[in-house]
Amino acid sequence: MSVLPVTELRPARTQEGSARPSQDDRPALKALPRVRGRQKGLIAAVLALLLAALAAVLVVNIHVANTQYRVVQMQNEHQSLVHENEMLTQQVQHRESPQSLSNAAATLGMVMPAAAGTFDLETSELVNGAEEASSHNRPTNFVSTPAAPGAEAIAPVDISDQVDGAPTGLLGAGALHTLNAFDGGQNGAGVETAESGGAADTGGGTIPAPRLN
Amino acid sequence: MNRILSFRMRIGLAIVLAMLMVLSGRLFHLQGLDPAGYAQEAVSARLHTVEVPGTRGDILDAQNRVMATAVEHYDIVADPRITGDYTIYDEQMDLQRPVTVEETAAELAELLSEDRQEILEKLTDDDTHYSVIARSVTPETRRKIMELQAPGIYAEPVSQRTYPSGAVAGSIIGFMGADGPLEGLERAADDRLSGEPGQRIYEVGADGVRIPTATYEEIPAQDGQDIRLTLNQDLQWFAQEAIAEKTAEYNAQWGNATVADLRTGEILAMADSETVDPAQPGQSDELFRRPLALTQAFEPGSGGKSITFAMALEEGVVEPEDAFDVPDRYTVDGETIQDARPHEEFPMTAAGIYARSYNTGTVMIGNQVDEQTRYEYLRRVGFGEPLDIGMGIEAPSRLRSPEEWDNRQPFTTQFGQGYTGSVLHMVQLYQMIANDGVKKPLSIIDAYIDPDGTEHPVQTEQERIFSSETSEEMLRLMEGVVDYGSGRGAAIEGYRVGGKTGTAQAAGESGGFDGFTVNFIGVAPLDDPQYLVSVTVHRPEGRFGDWDVTDTFSEIMGYTLASYDVPPSGAESESYDGFVGDRQEYPW
Repeated sequence: MSVLPVTELRPARTQEGSARPSQDDRPALKALPRVRGRQKGLIAAVLALLLAALAAVLVVNIHVANTQYRVVQMQNEHQSLVHENEMLTQQVQHRESPQSLSNAAATLGMVMPAAAGTFDLETSELVNGAEEASSHNRPTNFVSTPAAPGAEAIAPVDISDQVDGAPTGLLGAGALHTLNAFDGGQNGAGVETAESGGAADTGGGTIPAPRLN
Repeated sequence: MNRILSFRMRIGLAIVLAMLMVLSGRLFHLQGLDPAGYAQEAVSARLHTVEVPGTRGDILDAQNRVMATAVEHYDIVADPRITGDYTIYDEQMDLQRPVTVEETAAELAELLSEDRQEILEKLTDDDTHYSVIARSVTPETRRKIMELQAPGIYAEPVSQRTYPSGAVAGSIIGFMGADGPLEGLERAADDRLSGEPGQRIYEVGADGVRIPTATYEEIPAQDGQDIRLTLNQDLQWFAQEAIAEKTAEYNAQWGNATVADLRTGEILAMADSETVDPAQPGQSDELFRRPLALTQAFEPGSGGKSITFAMALEEGVVEPEDAFDVPDRYTVDGETIQDARPHEEFPMTAAGIYARSYNTGTVMIGNQVDEQTRYEYLRRVGFGEPLDIGMGIEAPSRLRSPEEWDNRQPFTTQFGQGYTGSVLHMVQLYQMIANDGVKKPLSIIDAYIDPDGTEHPVQTEQERIFSSETSEEMLRLMEGVVDYGSGRGAAIEGYRVGGKTGTAQAAGESGGFDGFTVNFIGVAPLDDPQYLVSVTVHRPEGRFGDWDVTDTFSEIMGYTLASYDVPPSGAESESYDGFVGDRQEYPW
């Protein structure tokens, strides 16, 4: 590829010396068309639209960022709730284990049951008589109790914290009071029971016996 | 001027052209030669894959109480390339506070109760970019560690096994090691429990941050199946306490108490005198890390006489009240059979021989059937074959064929010597005798439960071994044992109870016999046989005849009957007379 000299590229017309077009005939040279009033409005509208879009993007961005932040926060909250729930489930399972139940029963002063009495309802006969449970026959403790979960983590829920919301009477705060007041081992002791309304009613236990009228 | 310009232009053009050539060459290289490969390489450089583990299934008891479950714990790992000194905003002082890596190590050591120096070494080990600082910490500890905001320390979620009931059925449930399941059902049913891990795939940019709009794929993990056992957690605990007490009383090597529902073959409890706590397996003797009912084989002793009697009744060679004159020594084919204690010659019925468990009388009855048939009956009830209940351990039993028997074995096998079996072999034997002669294979797994709750019960196939008549007669023979025979301590007020005592010599490690195995297997209520309890104590201390395990039996059976709401019937005993004639009281 070769490059031609610039002179050779000039139009032939000038060299022929033909008359130049007059000044008036020239078209008006302008880089931009003249802005008319209507066009001004259009431009303003476009600019406004641009700004609005920019603002919208900004708002959306801020909103997304905020939401993202909230999502993370809620995820964390969810996770900690899941963990707490898991911990509480573990505590319930631990308390449901036979060893824990047995220990809890022994703490409340319960003993192993003796033979239960049985009636035959059809013949109204006693099939076998009930025996008195021996107060010395406590559950044995050969099977070790598993370690309570979460001893080093969330403190075990103390039911007495929830007394306020609990129903009153023997099923609610009353039961809690009973549990808290007598911490076991009082079979036949009768000291607390005498204070709380007469040993005759309770037969040495903590729950008043039903009365015959 | 023009010349210069054109020369410069030429140079520029040449440079542009050369660059274009290089670019198009590279373009051709990338797009023409192996475009897919390069694209792939680029994607895989950005792709990150994280394994999402499936949740391990639970192990439940028959009442759906959780015996083993998975909770979320965390491994704390460090990337020593990133760890180091850092600054943290201190709210109290309201300024940036520098924290050295030594301080981080000290704080971690306190939170994890571990050695500070060891942790520091892990944090500054330049050879690796992954060092595990602590395994399986609780979510609470993880939270505290994350609050340090130390760079390069991460928490990876891992599944941690917990066993809410601890040592209750520990040897059956099994336990996990650091790298996977080690024993028990955790190991045997690992395929079903573990499920399939899933994957999370995403692209990260050069700065290590996930590219939000790019590929994000998640293959969800498949959770493992739950396993529901036939065990009753409370009964299992009660049996463990009872057998531990008995074993401690005789200072025996081990003891086992097994409870089964004989109508279904379901094992309700399989309790050992000592049981491993799955959370701390190292603290138990190796013997107690697996269920003794499956691992320990011993001579059944007098318990094995039931096979001889059931066979004789089934073959019709004897009736329960047939008369025999029973001496304490009996010589046949040059071999003298002795009873455990010397006694006078008694005029007894077959039922009486069974109730008092006399070897001599048993051989008199058993010898009416030929040797091969006797052997076949031993095989039919399950001896000489391993017994598998899906625990990954086969209960062993050794029984040689008659060709290999020595001169004495044709007789000793009739009263439970000269062959061995496990507790479960004995339980299976009495299950089929008491269940109308129909064998229901013992099982410990009730069902597999999918994560969506679909249950897949484990089916077993039943098989008739003895006739109904034989079963009925055997139950009355067993009632005689409790009424007036060797197992009177097994009686439970209000219920009809039957069973069989057994005492066998235990073979020592160096050959010969150097101890005893004492057992009792009983069934109740005999009006409608439902439950079976076997109590075995191995190598009790003391002298022959000192031991009695029937009280443990009646304790466990009494609890079983009460907890399954079986009412006492108060029905009269239907045991056969033990002696011929009106006189039924004879000295022992």
